[in-house]
Amino acid sequence: MLHTFALFAPPNFIDNLLLKFFSADTVNYVVWPFIQIGAVVTAVAVYALYATYAERKISAFMQARLGPMRVGPWGLLQPFADALKLLTKEDLTPDKADIYTFKFAPYISVAAAFIVFAVIPFGPDWGVITDVNIGLLFVLSISSVGVLALILAGWSSNSKYALMGALRSSAQMVSYEVSMGLSIIGALMFARTLSLSGIVSAQQSDAVWFMFYQPLGLLTFLVSGIAENNRAPFDLPEAESELVAGFHTEYSGMRWSLFFMAEYAAMVVVSAIATTLYLGGWYFPFVYRFTEAQGHHALYVIISLIVFLAKLTFLLYLYFWLRWTLPRFRYDQLMDIGWKWLIPTALVNIVLTAIAIFTVQAVDGWNGLKTIEAMSPSLNLTGTGKAIMIGFGIIGIFITAGVLSTINRRARDFNLKRQRRNIRLVNLRKGKPAVAPPATNE
Amino acid sequence: MPAVNVPKPTLMEKVKRFFMVDLLKGLRLTLKYNVGAITDKDAVAGHGIYTEQYPKVRPDVAPRFHGAPRLNMDPETHDTLCIACNLCALACPEDCIDVIAMDIEITVAGKARRKKVLDEFIFDTSRCMFCALCQEACPTACLELTQDFELATYSRAGFVWNREMLEQGRETVKYTK
Repeated sequence: MLHTFALFAPPNFIDNLLLKFFSADTVNYVVWPFIQIGAVVTAVAVYALYATYAERKISAFMQARLGPMRVGPWGLLQPFADALKLLTKEDLTPDKADIYTFKFAPYISVAAAFIVFAVIPFGPDWGVITDVNIGLLFVLSISSVGVLALILAGWSSNSKYALMGALRSSAQMVSYEVSMGLSIIGALMFARTLSLSGIVSAQQSDAVWFMFYQPLGLLTFLVSGIAENNRAPFDLPEAESELVAGFHTEYSGMRWSLFFMAEYAAMVVVSAIATTLYLGGWYFPFVYRFTEAQGHHALYVIISLIVFLAKLTFLLYLYFWLRWTLPRFRYDQLMDIGWKWLIPTALVNIVLTAIAIFTVQAVDGWNGLKTIEAMSPSLNLTGTGKAIMIGFGIIGIFITAGVLSTINRRARDFNLKRQRRNIRLVNLRKGKPAVAPPATNE
Repeated sequence: MPAVNVPKPTLMEKVKRFFMVDLLKGLRLTLKYNVGAITDKDAVAGHGIYTEQYPKVRPDVAPRFHGAPRLNMDPETHDTLCIACNLCALACPEDCIDVIAMDIEITVAGKARRKKVLDEFIFDTSRCMFCALCQEACPTACLELTQDFELATYSRAGFVWNREMLEQGRETVKYTK
């Protein structure tokens, strides 16, 4: 049996069956990927459907309600009833809409959300469709294509609500993409690869999830991920009280549900990336020792898949939990958090992580503490090294808080623009803040 | 420039802000409701679910609630308990009860007597205000306002209940799901 980079070792009995019909190359490069793609697309679609159900149930529970209860036991078939309703609904196109753009935008949105699943490692071995060596870069670039769909949808609708929503969401997604990209770098310094499977195996070989090394990175990534997905408390693009429904105001029926699907799939994507980067992906302590080491390979993969799904579900619950707890931000607060707090946090985190890694390496070079055994592709930290890194991570939170509060100490001052105009920059007393002159009657 | 006096945060407030205490408090509250909804099934105490599954599960109405009228019958003979005394019609402030009686010949101890018995009983529920004064007036505990509350019909005429409806109860669609 051929071992390829696309597929490591598929289950043998299916492989033997396929080899009777196709040549070995066809099986490895065409048939198996198609099977995997089909399985993943189906699984993710069903998962996204049930995410809507879970969201409705959880929101109901948090408000002392029951949620959907009528279709099936405990309303479990509600997602399918919804899908059926949306499929048979009339698909309206507004007058003077740019018809082709209007009709095409949902497909871009849903494709951008689903393509990413090609590189996400759901498990070891056959649990991954393809292991691209620039996986993380691929994910980031594809998920930014999603913004394009929103802009196209909002612009082509010929509606002011849709246009305003699209403008807001593009501004928001562009500004939070920066902090998202920067927050990842800290974890990449430990993983030393952009391949998502490589990041997981780096955590596996360290036996430490990167969330312990990178608490700040995780925090920044999660916040900017929530903002990136336009979810509450960052759901300004679809603020019901102001913009009706934002960019998809004019959409109905199946096209609307494609946007809805894309939103939930994008949530799953961000959760999956956060899981892979910070929560150890499919890695869980002791699973390897009790399954793979004793020869139960398929069991190892399946348990790893379950571990990954459990972590993913936990992060999705966090999404719902935050949505039904926090009120929506004001628009200026949203930009404030993005540019004044999250991006500096990510930058400070990069510097601190670099210092930490340099320190550990330097300590190793002096032959004092034995921390790094070798400069291999992943940092092989010893126990002491791990402890130092975790300590750096925790101290880093306090340092960053100090730095940020220093940067933003004047950020909350009233009417900053006016103050800047009035502040005299000569004859300043040393060590005292600049003071605006007394108000003139205007 | 209007002077806005923003008080400086104390050390305690700064620490609270740093550890996001208020955010965590909010999260704890919603989690408490979520866990309560899953675990606490009887719902009323604590943070349970307050939703009633109405057509599936009948709600408990208050004991003093008055609903649909009913004419009770003798449980053994299945004859009506009504003696056509007309007291309920007299007691009704809305004048929505009509008792129509008739005389019949009976023999009591060998002698022919005439007796007034109930022929038809008209109860207009559209005018009834469910004060239950008729129930208070009834000497034989025949007329009773029950706790049944589903009185809606498709026509005005449907609100006028005759004797059969009052004795048997009106047929309603029973939803089980």
